[in-house]
Amino acid sequence: MAHEKAPGVLSYARLVTVARISNLTVRYGNFTALDDLSCEIPEGCTGLLGPNGAGKTTLLKTILGFVNPTSGEGTVMDKNIRTDGMAIRQLIGLMPEQDCHIPGMTAVGFVSYAGELSGMPPADALRRAHEVLEYCGLGEARYRNVETYSTGMKQRIKLAQALVHGPKLLLLDEPTNGLDPRGREEMLDLVRSVSHGRGVNVIVSSHLLPDIERVCDRVIVVIKGKLRTAGTIKDLKKLAGQPADVELREPNLAFANLLMEKGLTVAPPKGNVYRVQSELPPEDLLRVVQRTAVESGAQVRGFETAVRTLEEVFLEALTA
Amino acid sequence: MSNIKPIADLSYRNYDGPLKKPGSRWWVIAKNGIRIALKKKALWFWMFGSAWYYLAMLVGLFFFQQVSSANPPIKQAMQAFLERIVWQDQFLHGFSFGQMAMLIISLMLGSGSIADDNRSNAMLIYLSKPCAKREYLFGKWVGIALPVFVIMVIPTIVFYAYGALTFREYGFLKDAWLLPKMLVIIPIAAMLHASIVVGISSMFNQGRNASATYAGLYFLGYFFTSLMGGIWASSRGETTYPVRHLFYGSIDGILIGVCKAIVGTNGSPPFGIQNPGRMSQVPAPNVAAILGIALLISVVFVLIAWRKIRAVEVIG
Amino acid sequence: MIQIENASRWFGQVIGVNDVTHTIEPGVTALLGMNGAGKSTLLRLITGQIRPTTGSIKVFGNEPFANPEVYKRMGYCPEIDQFYEHRTGRQFVNYLARLAGMSAAEAKTRTDEVLQEVGMADRADKKLAGYSKGMRQRIKLAQAILHDPDIILLDEPLNGLDPVGRREFMSYLHTLAERGKTILVSSHILFEVEQMTKSIMLLHRGRLLAASDVSLIREYIDKYPHRVRIETPQPREVAAKLIQLPYVLKVEFDEWRGGIELQTRELNQFFAFLPTLTTEENFTITGFSSPDNNLESIFHYLIE
Repeated sequence: MAHEKAPGVLSYARLVTVARISNLTVRYGNFTALDDLSCEIPEGCTGLLGPNGAGKTTLLKTILGFVNPTSGEGTVMDKNIRTDGMAIRQLIGLMPEQDCHIPGMTAVGFVSYAGELSGMPPADALRRAHEVLEYCGLGEARYRNVETYSTGMKQRIKLAQALVHGPKLLLLDEPTNGLDPRGREEMLDLVRSVSHGRGVNVIVSSHLLPDIERVCDRVIVVIKGKLRTAGTIKDLKKLAGQPADVELREPNLAFANLLMEKGLTVAPPKGNVYRVQSELPPEDLLRVVQRTAVESGAQVRGFETAVRTLEEVFLEALTA
Repeated sequence: MSNIKPIADLSYRNYDGPLKKPGSRWWVIAKNGIRIALKKKALWFWMFGSAWYYLAMLVGLFFFQQVSSANPPIKQAMQAFLERIVWQDQFLHGFSFGQMAMLIISLMLGSGSIADDNRSNAMLIYLSKPCAKREYLFGKWVGIALPVFVIMVIPTIVFYAYGALTFREYGFLKDAWLLPKMLVIIPIAAMLHASIVVGISSMFNQGRNASATYAGLYFLGYFFTSLMGGIWASSRGETTYPVRHLFYGSIDGILIGVCKAIVGTNGSPPFGIQNPGRMSQVPAPNVAAILGIALLISVVFVLIAWRKIRAVEVIG
Repeated sequence: MIQIENASRWFGQVIGVNDVTHTIEPGVTALLGMNGAGKSTLLRLITGQIRPTTGSIKVFGNEPFANPEVYKRMGYCPEIDQFYEHRTGRQFVNYLARLAGMSAAEAKTRTDEVLQEVGMADRADKKLAGYSKGMRQRIKLAQAILHDPDIILLDEPLNGLDPVGRREFMSYLHTLAERGKTILVSSHILFEVEQMTKSIMLLHRGRLLAASDVSLIREYIDKYPHRVRIETPQPREVAAKLIQLPYVLKVEFDEWRGGIELQTRELNQFFAFLPTLTTEENFTITGFSSPDNNLESIFHYLIE
């Protein structure tokens, strides 16, 4: 799933770097927001994680070219962050977290205005605004005043104005803020379809880790101004050995004991789920587990290779 | 086999068209401001209202001209009237009597320009695009100054054309520089209004509050100026107090002063009414002084706007 | 305890809640629904800000509307984010403590305690205007628990908190629930709600669509038979075997991930049967799960 590409697109062996930050230090007065941070953001969809106030925000502002670093360098799409802020913003689309709009305009007016502000000629801006609004799922509502919109629609407009000028890098700051579950699903699907196979690179900053898991291939974890972890989500989630999460219909002590007698390591259950460690390959382990369940009168309802959740990855990085 | 696919792929595609370089965004912003303002129907009413003096003069002159061709006594009265009227002062009156309407027009164009943006966090959008704060401010300013200029200049030119064609023998063209002078004065007025409105708008979160503030200040000044004018006139210019300077101590006053100074007249009663000697006009101020004041106030308010426009944290 | 009986409330022609009947027991209950489903209206009815147009709401046996006796035992943590920005967090909480009727000394000690509990003790002396979203949420919670209420209602409490903050907040809510309090949380973040509680109230267009334990609700969704994913390198053989079971309704092949997905109404019987495939018939199966046994799927199925 992580490397799904549209048919016909060449796959490069070496990933192109979208942004490269080297030894970046940013200080606000006495406060060090970023401390000698180096990272590379490759093509595709990257998640940016970090506690509040840890430098995540500053990193995003740096990528946008707003920040004058105390030391260190950085390039975003081969443009220097210190000197080419304007050019960078021409190539980036930002979907801010807060509610924002230009008062007194319809959705079409707003998005085409945003396009013109990015430098598009007026006719192109209008045409493209319609295209992007269609893509974001706004039908007839696009002719209404933006001030009458619901939260979900406002989020879509924010995404549309970020996409209108065809940016090569899209920055999304809490894209599912305030959305109900259905809206959240639709927004995540939108983001996913833009970022995979369309040549648009995406950086998602969010506190909702399952959102990031669903949409991104890689994550960067920034804590206290430093880069703590970076890597593909798949790799980060892998657990040593190949433990399995066994879900029973209800907790069963006999089952756990029996497994341990057979020489397997069984962790105390979380709800109905037991984590079982062994050296056996999955299919053999499954057989043993099923047999044990039948012997102890338990019913196995799930058997999956255990992975760390992204939240666990994050919390581990925090305490490391 | 042909390469044409019967079903088009309507999913997201990139934009590979032209992109202009930063530096021209101000026009986009100005255009947008003007477009939003033009939607207000009341604006058109006030546009005509601002030219009411010129209209009145045009209608009156035209009417009397038509009537006088058939009626000798009226013709004589008209001739006398036309011989003593000071044409320059008509432009002064046209200009100054329209200022009230221009105030309202400026407010309609611009009171919400920055205030509404403050309320709706629009700066997040502007700043995330390749658009600098100075372009934003300049665009907003032009969005007020340009329409104000156009609204003032058109009636002026129309009246000038009518006068130049009809009343040449009555000394309409005596001052060859009259029209160029007006074309200098009007931009100054536009600059002053636009700067103040932009500055005040940036101080508020709602266009209404900005409107109320500027309108309040303007009217206070207007009454003050009228009061000073009345004192001067009734004392026939013999008062000891610095009334002749205080007269120009309001926005209305400054604009009147600019006009008087550049046109080079002290003014006369409107509509060419005979002055029986009981009233006198406040003399024109020093050109450099009044221009300096106008420029200073404009700069001050633009600086206020510059400071007040919060370069918001684009990432919260 | 909150007893809602046939409560309806409308605003002109717009329906807020429509004929809702439920009893909210102590513990953590989640209030779910799309935007505009009536969650806020229901919360306002319970906190006594508005009265039901028909039906009744009783909190500890009394009507909450304009009833200070009930208010004393309720704490409300609203979604809105407005404070007296020029005051510090501590001053704000202290002020509310005084408003609740505490003396100056009581208010001070209670403020300190409460700030300690929500983890703001060291940061409460800065002006509210400079607070991050997470800090504001904690202050909101602090003021809600000042008077040690028995019922706490929270509207989107985890909004803006980072994962650490969320964990702390949720574990704190659990602690409160263990003390016997009734906690009602309204939230859109389903995976968090799942971690907090199993008992939910789902509102849809004003009606109470489902109110119970999550797994019980799943059992009752007839329209969508349970889905089971089986990962195996022998999909067709395994499928052939499973199709023979009368309670297996549908089998789909997942070309992309390898494996099969089937639908069945009789989850119990199916999972009782499954071990025979691996233990007796020696098929190779590397994993299986029920992908729609979570809150998000339930929500999806119920709301369509």
